[in-house]
Amino acid sequence: MIRKMPFLLFPICLLFILCSIPVSAQVSHTIHGKVVDAATGLPIAGATVQEKGSASGTATDESGLYKLNVSANSKPVIVFSFVGYQNHEVKVGTSGVANISLEAGTSALNEIVVIAYSSEKKKDITGAVSVVNMDNLSRQPTGLVTEQLQGQASGVTVITSGQPGADPQIRIRGINTFGNNSPLFVVDGTPTQNIADLNVNNIASMQVLKDAGAASIYGSRASNGVIIITTKRGSGKVVVHYDGYYGTQLPKSGNVWNLLNPQEEANLTWIAQKNSGSATPSSPLYGNGATPILPDYITPAGAMAGSPLVDPSLYNVNPNYTDISSYNNFYRITPANKTGTDWYHEVFKQAPMQRQNISVSGGGDKGSYLFSMGYLDQKGSLINTYLKRYTVRSNAQYIVSKHIRIGENLETSISHNPTINDIPTENNFQGTSAIFFTMQISPIIPVHDIKGNYGGVYGTGLNGPNPVAIQRRTANNADVANRLLGNVYADVQFLNDFTFHTSLGGDNYSGARHSFNYPTYENAGNSTVNSFTQSSYSGFNWTWTNTLTYAKQIGQNHHLSAMLGTEAYQSKTESLTGTTQGYLSFDPNYTTLSSGSGVKTNGSGRTMESLSSAFGRIDYSFKDKYLFSGTLRRDGSSKFINYQYGWFPAVSAGWRISQENFMKNYAWITDMKIRGSWGMMGNQLNVNADNGYSTYLLNINSAYYDIAGTNNTNQSGLQVGQNGNPNARWEKDYSTNIGLDATFWNGRFNLTADYYQKDIQGLLYNPAQPGTAGLGNAPFINVAGVKNNGIDMSLTYHQNLSKKLKLDAGLILTTYHNEITQVTDQANYFWTNDQRHYGSNFIRNEVGHAIGSFYGYKITGFWNSAADIATADQAAQKETGNTTAIYQPDEAVGRFRYADLNGDQHITDSDRTFLGNPNPKFSYGLNLRLTYGQFDMSMFFYGVHGNDLWNVTKYWTDFSGYAEAKSKTALYNSWSPTHQNAKVSLPELGQYQSTNGAPNSYYIENGSYLKLKNIEIGYTFPVSLLKNIGIDRFRVYFQATNVFTVTKYSGIDPEVSGSVTDFGVDEGIYPNMRQFLGGISLSF
Amino acid sequence: MKIIFKSLPATALWLIILVVPVSVVMYSCNKSFLKYSPQGSLNEAQIANNEGVNTLLIGVYGVLDGQGNGSAITGSSNWGSTSPDNAIYGSGFGGEAHGVGPVSLVPTNGYLDDKWRADYEGITRANNVLKLVQLAKDMTDAQKANVIAQAKCLRGHYYFDLKKMFNKVPWIDENTTDFYQPNTADIWPYIENDFLAAMNTLPETQPEPGRVNKWAAASYLAKAFLYQHKFDSAKTIFDQVIANGKTTAGIKYGLFAEYEDNFRPEKELESPQAVFPIEMSANVGNGTISSGNQGDILYYPITAPFGCCGGYNPSLDLANSFRTDPNGLPYLTDYNAHALVSDLGIASADPFTPDAGNLDPRVDWTAGRRALPFLDWGLHAGASMVSFGQPVTGPYNDKKLIFWQSTAKQYYDANSWAPGSAINYLVIDFADVLLMAAECEAQLGNVDQAETYVNQIRNRAANPAGWVYQYLDNSNPIAGFSSTPAANYVISPYPAGTFSAGGKQYALDAIYFERKLELSMEGHRFFDLVRWGIADQTLNAYYNYEKPLVQDLNVVPFVPGKNEYFPIPQLQIDQSVVGGKKTLTQNPGY
Repeated sequence: MIRKMPFLLFPICLLFILCSIPVSAQVSHTIHGKVVDAATGLPIAGATVQEKGSASGTATDESGLYKLNVSANSKPVIVFSFVGYQNHEVKVGTSGVANISLEAGTSALNEIVVIAYSSEKKKDITGAVSVVNMDNLSRQPTGLVTEQLQGQASGVTVITSGQPGADPQIRIRGINTFGNNSPLFVVDGTPTQNIADLNVNNIASMQVLKDAGAASIYGSRASNGVIIITTKRGSGKVVVHYDGYYGTQLPKSGNVWNLLNPQEEANLTWIAQKNSGSATPSSPLYGNGATPILPDYITPAGAMAGSPLVDPSLYNVNPNYTDISSYNNFYRITPANKTGTDWYHEVFKQAPMQRQNISVSGGGDKGSYLFSMGYLDQKGSLINTYLKRYTVRSNAQYIVSKHIRIGENLETSISHNPTINDIPTENNFQGTSAIFFTMQISPIIPVHDIKGNYGGVYGTGLNGPNPVAIQRRTANNADVANRLLGNVYADVQFLNDFTFHTSLGGDNYSGARHSFNYPTYENAGNSTVNSFTQSSYSGFNWTWTNTLTYAKQIGQNHHLSAMLGTEAYQSKTESLTGTTQGYLSFDPNYTTLSSGSGVKTNGSGRTMESLSSAFGRIDYSFKDKYLFSGTLRRDGSSKFINYQYGWFPAVSAGWRISQENFMKNYAWITDMKIRGSWGMMGNQLNVNADNGYSTYLLNINSAYYDIAGTNNTNQSGLQVGQNGNPNARWEKDYSTNIGLDATFWNGRFNLTADYYQKDIQGLLYNPAQPGTAGLGNAPFINVAGVKNNGIDMSLTYHQNLSKKLKLDAGLILTTYHNEITQVTDQANYFWTNDQRHYGSNFIRNEVGHAIGSFYGYKITGFWNSAADIATADQAAQKETGNTTAIYQPDEAVGRFRYADLNGDQHITDSDRTFLGNPNPKFSYGLNLRLTYGQFDMSMFFYGVHGNDLWNVTKYWTDFSGYAEAKSKTALYNSWSPTHQNAKVSLPELGQYQSTNGAPNSYYIENGSYLKLKNIEIGYTFPVSLLKNIGIDRFRVYFQATNVFTVTKYSGIDPEVSGSVTDFGVDEGIYPNMRQFLGGISLSF
Repeated sequence: MKIIFKSLPATALWLIILVVPVSVVMYSCNKSFLKYSPQGSLNEAQIANNEGVNTLLIGVYGVLDGQGNGSAITGSSNWGSTSPDNAIYGSGFGGEAHGVGPVSLVPTNGYLDDKWRADYEGITRANNVLKLVQLAKDMTDAQKANVIAQAKCLRGHYYFDLKKMFNKVPWIDENTTDFYQPNTADIWPYIENDFLAAMNTLPETQPEPGRVNKWAAASYLAKAFLYQHKFDSAKTIFDQVIANGKTTAGIKYGLFAEYEDNFRPEKELESPQAVFPIEMSANVGNGTISSGNQGDILYYPITAPFGCCGGYNPSLDLANSFRTDPNGLPYLTDYNAHALVSDLGIASADPFTPDAGNLDPRVDWTAGRRALPFLDWGLHAGASMVSFGQPVTGPYNDKKLIFWQSTAKQYYDANSWAPGSAINYLVIDFADVLLMAAECEAQLGNVDQAETYVNQIRNRAANPAGWVYQYLDNSNPIAGFSSTPAANYVISPYPAGTFSAGGKQYALDAIYFERKLELSMEGHRFFDLVRWGIADQTLNAYYNYEKPLVQDLNVVPFVPGKNEYFPIPQLQIDQSVVGGKKTLTQNPGY
């Protein structure tokens, strides 16, 4: 099969070329007419016109006109459908003319919804499916479809970042695993884990499959939910469509970190030194007087103007030094910035963004095509971050005969997306993020020294690198990602009731990046080695799906359909990286891996995995009233050894109660369906490919040793790589769902509501092994468990307020409650995010609590007097019988007092408790749209409620233990004998268990917020005006994004992302920017 | 439709054309399709041979420098001396290792867990060698015996490291399959067995100087006896080591003529002191400093070329200990009454005259002091060079970790924001052996022999060739040194009979003090104080003296009965539940 792939690639290429050839129509018998809105009489463009039971179809043009070729000797039934309208069926007589008025509204239940391996009318669906309103979604100006999904589908929680191209955190119905929680995306039938490169302009529809009834036919890959994406097709006459916008993004203004100015910071230093026992404070910068004096120069530390030390002729800094001895002789002269450097706005600047898209589409009875080109350029407001992407899509379908259709959907993209790491991870807890350092570096440090080289803390006694230098030094780094994602397919209808579908989809991607590491000279600790790193990766995965479907209406009352299918998936990736040191010149044209003179290192990696599956589905409905559906899938994975295969069943049922006679009296209930489902899904995403095997590997860093005593050559050594577990098997994700779909008042009001429970057993997790087992990778074992439950709800409301004024409103509500049911047999919790600066962790995942919960000491107040402490100590001594016992480690006047939760009169590790939960109680999105004649206005609100955030920035800015920038809180709202009702403990030089030396409740904040994410005003020019110049449709619009945020959170943006078990921790994130843009949409 | 499917045979044909080939292809590749082999790694069968086992053995050595798990294992500084009276942990800039001193340690401290895991990684690797060597068919019995003995000696080292820190640790060997073992049994007998087996089997010399030999194992065995106060057994072995011991390179044990040679990479192959060295290396081509004292990355002066961070500075108390009386002998108890003049509180720009009193010359190989030569890097600049704030971290820099400018090209590793270096760390140094032997002799009543050993150490220190001298030219430090000593060095051996005149306790005090001077900042001090049983009074006296002078020592007092040992990492305890019960128990007091 693997070897066959080149042959399969050939047709992909061929189709890609063919697709741009227009398809001409051969007319035999034509029906034509016009489709208009029943209420307004205005033409409806893009409505689907299809002959019932046939593959041939077309769409109306911009004037609502259509032409359809039908079989000459039949009297066809023609179906007219359009999103937001009721379907209309007519028998066309010999006249060949059918002018149709479509009724708005009610059609939500008749909407065609693409589900797993097929499509269905919404009224017939028995699983939980969210249908995304693409119109609302595409209005959000970002390059990522996943980011646009925020607040647009119930059951989906999305946390976005302001960084262009940064994948948002996305969850469907809670958190299902401790590892990869990303849903499965199925793009035109091709499963993929990544849709970051997809051009939203090309997406026709998006559905979210949430429960087992809808998703478990995807079996092993469905556990995190499935998002089905269908791209656009052409139809009708040739239409050229252009969409474009241009805008600007503005960083938050003002003193975003609430920092002190240099004089205030110096004053605080004096206070802290006095509190720490120095009767006569001193500092290299501020002297040793009674009050601190701001110097004229920070290097040489504390120098004043006129000092011989600041004679510019002494200055000696070569920023591009290649020789350490040159560096050792540097003489730096850096002026103090007494008014204070606004570091945040030195790196965050106004930034433009634009998107252009042009498409050509059309079709007839021999096929259809769509060709689209897109360009997106979003500069990040943080300098030298951006997303630039070019996409080309080509979708084509060929109607070979009345029963055979062959087609392809392909999108290729080229992306450039330099990013920064603003989210702390286990191994990179404060990142190298310039954003973090805009909050950390003191404002007295200038951006540049006297000769225009970077200013920094060297020799000042302060700490932190220059964030401008960090970002500027990345200017010549480059990266590129190429991707080809798509499929080729064929449909064959045979006998009357069978359809055979085969699809070969693939994702072929590659990328490369290179970066140069400049030596530094301005920091306290400098990297004196220059190096160049280049890396690349490539991968190819393919999915071959075959389905055979049988559908039959039996008599008036029974409808039966059945499907059988097979699917095979294989993925291979390779990566390569190399670093060379010792460049004689830093000219970006000179640096390659070969042109450096120093140490060269290289490395590479390979992965592969495969899945083999068979699946089936049966759907049965009786009288269009009672609906039943059952699915079963069997999956085999290369990641498992002894238990390679798993079975994933699901059943669901629906009752269209509105069809019952006893409901006929309630005329206002247009339609109502109650549905329920139960099923099981699986997951193996987190398991690494080597999991079943015990391996040894060479490790140049941790296993090599200079056994020969050479001082510069190591001999190679081996260590354990993976501890194998050949008995890992599929985890079992049980899902139960009860739902309601209802339409009231002829579609003015639609409601979909679901309650669900997900119970994940035998969750594959790699718990830390006891230290006694060594450091080899712990294998994944089926040990843990997680439970989720919640309510998803979506409401839409449509009202014609007058003939011209229309209102559409949509409310999305998502809740989830997450609880860990088991961790391992040995432990009932595990930590994430090794926060070293506390010396202990604060994210504890414990049985009975939600994933990612915050943990530490609870502050009850301050120690206001020595007597307070003495009283507490006496109680501790009495309780413990130990005369030297104390109440709390590092207790002192002005520091925090912790709550004694276990009542033993003294504070130990066991007095720590759960302080907060970063999972929101609920999140909601509200779309409002008003149309008045040619004008339209829409607004999108998004909110999150009931979550906590851990604001690490306060650790750095509110406590005085570090010689870095400090906040107004540290100076003006810290404890003192005269200000006991303070926010933070008294300023001190050290950090203590009782201040910021241990995780405590000081960092917890309410993370709830409501944002006006987007507001748009548009005007569509009247058709009468455009006709003369050959334009069908022309709309202009203006938009503002992130208009305002209502929140109590004190940080820069309450939208704090993270990883699955480590989120809501703010260490200086890339905030969402306010955007203003204008755009046009044009077709002819 | 009717046109195409006129008959049943046509239907069958369609099915054959469409469905059958697909099914056949899907089915036929199913079995091999899901087959996978690990990429880029080896399995047991591939390494159960001479080359594989020997490469595994290098991996056991590979943990010695701490890179088994971050920087947690090296003995020189991270865990040994930091808390007690040797050093002040500098946190003017915000230390990375707060709470490392045992007295303010809480069981949840993440570094404890790292340390625990690193030692057990060394043990795991040794156990893997012991398992796989049995399967190797291309090794002679002699080859196997040597590999087994090396693995046992190294395993003994890792267990010793755990034992002295945590006291209660579970024993895991090559036959253990259940890693949830209790930590209730005393593992000293197992440690002794490993060293004994190694001592009896290992050759005296090995082709590579970095390997352990018979005498390394013997010295370690004696050290294990000493820690258990089995002075008799220890003495027996120390006598053999001192009489016959030689390094793996074949050099008879002894002392370098000059004290400082012990800290110079260019001398390590000719070292008579390297009983159990950890071989550090610089610029090995991996672009990191993982093989070059990475655990000490924070302990350099903050100025160029070091860069960071003054995090491990000799205390005032330690510097004062080097004061000598007019006879060149130390003040064993009241040294702080003869404190050195330091530049504490004096800015680098302001004038300062260094201490002019009598000093043990070793002070200037231990503490970087203002206005004295800092190796060949130039005169120590005082406050601006020490750390981020002298009031916090005191006036001195550690000097034993510092590489020389003249040989920096070979031994300084710049592959990080702070230096790595090729300066070896000696787990056991021959000077250490002599002083341990002296302890045994004194404990057994042989104070004259003890005095001989101590004087061997002092006589070497008194060798003027090994002192620090003023530069020929202060503006060009690399040009060399004059013949003017950098300070007023006055040092003598104890006059013969001093120990016997003073009695056993005096002899022990003198030996203990000599250890403090000779081996300061080398990671022994805390564990020495604990095994001597004087950690309580010594450390609390130290805190009382030092606390008013520097701000970094805001520690709670040493609590006897608790702070002798570090807490078992809470994470390890919490992860040790079997059948609802924790298999690991915490040390008393935590």
